[in-house]
This record gives sequence, structure tokens and C-alpha cells, in this order.
Amino acid sequence: MSIIEVENLKYRYPDLTDLVLDDLSFSVEKGECLGIVGENTAGKSTLCYALAGLIPHFYKGAYGGQVTVNGLVVREHEIADIVENIGLVFENPFSQMTGAKKTVYEEVAFGLENLGLDRNEMHRRIEQYLKLLDVFSVKDKNPFDLSGGQMQRVAIASVLAMEPDVLILDEPTSQLDPQGSSEVFEVIEQLTQRGMTIILVEHKMEQIAQYADRVLLLHGGKQVALDTPEEIFSRPDLKGFGVTPPVVTNIAKALNVRYPDSELFPVTIKEFKRLEELK
Amino acid sequence: MNTMTLYVEKDSPVHRLDPLVKLLYVVASIALTYILPEPLFIAGVLFVTLLLLVIGKVFRNSLPILTLSMFLIFSLVIVQGFFHPDNVTELFSIGPLVFYEEGLYVALVLVLRVLVMIGSFSVLILTTSPDEMVERLIKKGMSPRIGHVILSVLQLIPQMRATTSKITDAQRSRGMETEGSMLTRIKAFFPLMGPVVLNSLNETKERSIALEMRGFGSSTKKTFLNEEKQYPYNKLLAGIIIGIVILGIVWRVMA
Repeated sequence: MSIIEVENLKYRYPDLTDLVLDDLSFSVEKGECLGIVGENTAGKSTLCYALAGLIPHFYKGAYGGQVTVNGLVVREHEIADIVENIGLVFENPFSQMTGAKKTVYEEVAFGLENLGLDRNEMHRRIEQYLKLLDVFSVKDKNPFDLSGGQMQRVAIASVLAMEPDVLILDEPTSQLDPQGSSEVFEVIEQLTQRGMTIILVEHKMEQIAQYADRVLLLHGGKQVALDTPEEIFSRPDLKGFGVTPPVVTNIAKALNVRYPDSELFPVTIKEFKRLEELK
Repeated sequence: MNTMTLYVEKDSPVHRLDPLVKLLYVVASIALTYILPEPLFIAGVLFVTLLLLVIGKVFRNSLPILTLSMFLIFSLVIVQGFFHPDNVTELFSIGPLVFYEEGLYVALVLVLRVLVMIGSFSVLILTTSPDEMVERLIKKGMSPRIGHVILSVLQLIPQMRATTSKITDAQRSRGMETEGSMLTRIKAFFPLMGPVVLNSLNETKERSIALEMRGFGSSTKKTFLNEEKQYPYNKLLAGIIIGIVILGIVWRVMA
């Protein structure tokens, strides 16, 4: 069984007339990294909220279809039941800090206290994830005294410490400087290598191309395509959906560097170089 | 990192006391000033309170708070001394206004009471970290939601202040006058409010989502990272405080 199953998902925010998610159906396998791309207002963040259970529990509105995460039908369970299955990190690291904890260590503990974990288990998880996210050295600092990249890594550590099976990253680097972004992408690389199921929403297509196993292309709340990064970024009509392919793919198109006997172009530098050598 | 707290981090016997015992002391000391409204007795309570501030090494930190109350204290003395309805015995006069002994007595009780209130609250606030206080109250049954609101306000208001300052700088850098006469400042205030309020609302919504995703709405019994702190002479001190209040009540009834 797939870890996430979305069947005919439809959603409209209260006070809006148009559907923001319009009949989406797809599944995500365990250990897969699914990239979600599309222009602004395509419904990417709304889809993340629906997967995490914030829709329909936090955001009301018209809801149809079904989302199942790890066998739990999201609509039928409270968010508190869902958070052990799916975690969400979003773009603004500052607003993801609880504001009630004075140290990074306590910040990560916040979710674990809410889950009612015993103290030994809390210490084990906090240390494990602070080290994994390379923020153990700042464990005694106030979260608000950290840089944007460090703060975002603390936000990811706080969610990961709850040991969800799926991690949703909704534009996790859009408010970070290049240094902060690269710190976060190093973490994403590590997590994908560890076989974590990841849903990644990003405007930096190079990163989607590098980490995603499959890419879901959304436009106006509708599912345009769900395929490999090569298939998605080689589409001639991609710009019409407000998505620009990675620079390397544009260069490959210009130089006509493609996979043998195929219409597909490479989406990473590594693949580009390999195909160039073959040529 | 700025937080809105007056807590002074020091190592003293008062700092090591249970926050709940200190809270009990605040309630008991104020209650005693009403149970036995005698200046000498209230002065005794004030002496104990000031002694606690000295032992807690925070007496100097309490002085600005006490100074702030001076305006109220002077007002009490003037109003009661000149205008209390039971005034009979004249002490002195300034022109047509006569200052009376009875009013001074009432003012003395009120002033001492105010000083006890400020002093005992200072003992609590200056020697207890807000986290310790809130965690202790949550463990005793206070709603974690209320606790979260108290603690987050202490940290987030200084953050909001920082945001306001950034927005002001941004507006100033685009040529907006934000300094100068009162009228200029008032004019600058309104354009500032829009972005500040919208920004705060947005962050509040995002923070609510983050809290939900961290299981804040969970009905599972909450646990705590910090071990239950052992406080010295906890029950003994609480017993003594309650005992003194009971004695005060008995004294008042008997007298």
C-alpha cells in the first residue's frame, strides 16, 4: 500500500468561489521524494495543508475526495493524531518557533512533550535530530538568536523528532539567503539518502531535479502531470504553466543533448556531462 | 535575545524557593494587610518582604519599581490627609487647606499596603523565571494553552517591536518623515500600523499552524522535559505562611 493516497481531492477555501484543488488523484510510495511544482496560486501549499490534515481541520471550506496517510483517513482524524505520521515545515522559519521556549533544546522538546513521551525518549530524540541537522552546537541558544538557515534546521529537527513517516517541506528555503538555503538542502539530501518519504515544494527547479524521484505539476489547482523530473522538465509546454526548467535542461535543449532514442533532456549537471560524453 | 521579563538571574535562597510558595506569600502578605490593618503590623509584613528582597539579592532591582509607585503614594497622603471624611484633628494647614491626623493615619495604612503589594510582587517576579513559574503552574493543573500564551507573549512582543523598527527603517529609507514634531510622528504612525498589524496577523496564523503540527492540540497527557524540581522546605514554608494567615484571622476575630 502507498504511504500517501489522494483520491479525487477537491477543496475550496471559505469565501472563495473557485476550487483551489480540483480533482487531484495520486499516490506516494514509502521512501519516495515527490516534488511539487507550479506557478503561484497553483495550489501547492494548499495541497501540503490537505496532506498534513490542516485542511479540513484547521482551514474549513468545501472539501471533497479523500486523503489517506499511512492508512489514516485525514478527514476522520484530528491533526494531533496525524502529526506522528506526517510533518510539515514551511517557508518562514521565524514563525515556526513556538515563542515559548528559551533554548533550541527545549524548542525541539515542545512537540515531544505534547505527544506525552517519557523523558529518556525525549532526550534521545532531541540529541539525535539536533546532531542530524547539525545544530547540536547551538542547543543552549535562544531560537530567535539563530540565523535563518539555523532556525529552519531547528524547525526541521523539531518536526523530525516527532518521527513522522512523511516530511512535507513547503518552500523551506524561499526566505533564506544562499548560505541558509544550501544548509537546508544538505539536510534534504541526507534525508533522501536515509530513505525518508519527502514531499518537496520548491521554486528552485535545480533542487527539484536533483532530489525528486517524481514531480507533480499543478496549474490552477489541477493536476497537469505526474512523472519523472526528466519527463516534466522536457515538456515543451512547461513555460505555459509558469515553470522554468533547470538551467542545465535549457542548455541541453539548446545544444540538443538528450537521452539516446528519446525526446528527454537531462535535468542535472551530472547527467548532462554523462550524455555529453556519450555524444 | 530580549524578553519582557524582570527576572534577575542570581543564586540565592529566595531564588531556590518553590514559585508556588512565593505566589502563596504574595497572596498571604496582601491578605494580611487587610485582615489586620494596623500600621505597625503591616510595617512588620513590609519588613519581612524587604528582607526577602535583600536575601534574594534583588533589593536594588526593586527600587525602580518602588520609585514608580511614589506618585501614587504622594497622592494617597495628600487626598487622605486633606479630604478624608473622618478628619477631625488638625495637624497643619496650607492656606485654606487643613491637613488632619486621621487622614494621615488612613494614608499610612494605605501606603504601607501598597508597598507590601509592590514588594511581595517584586519578590515573586524578580526571583522567579517565567518558565519555571508557568511550568510549575501547568504541572499543578493550569491549562498548557494559558501557559503558552503567557510565555510566548514575553518573547514575541520584543520580536514585534523589532519588526516595527525594521518597517520604520524601510519607510524612512524611502523618504518618509518619522521624526520631528508631534504631528509628523502621528502622521508616520498610521502608515506603520498597516504592515505591522498585517505582518503580525500572518505570523500568528503561521505560528498556529506550526503549533498544530507539533501536536499542541493533542489530548494526550502532556509530559515535561525538565524533571520535577525539588524545592527545599516547601511544605514547611507553605504551612508557616498559611498558619500566620489563620493566626491573623483568629486575632482579628478575637480582638
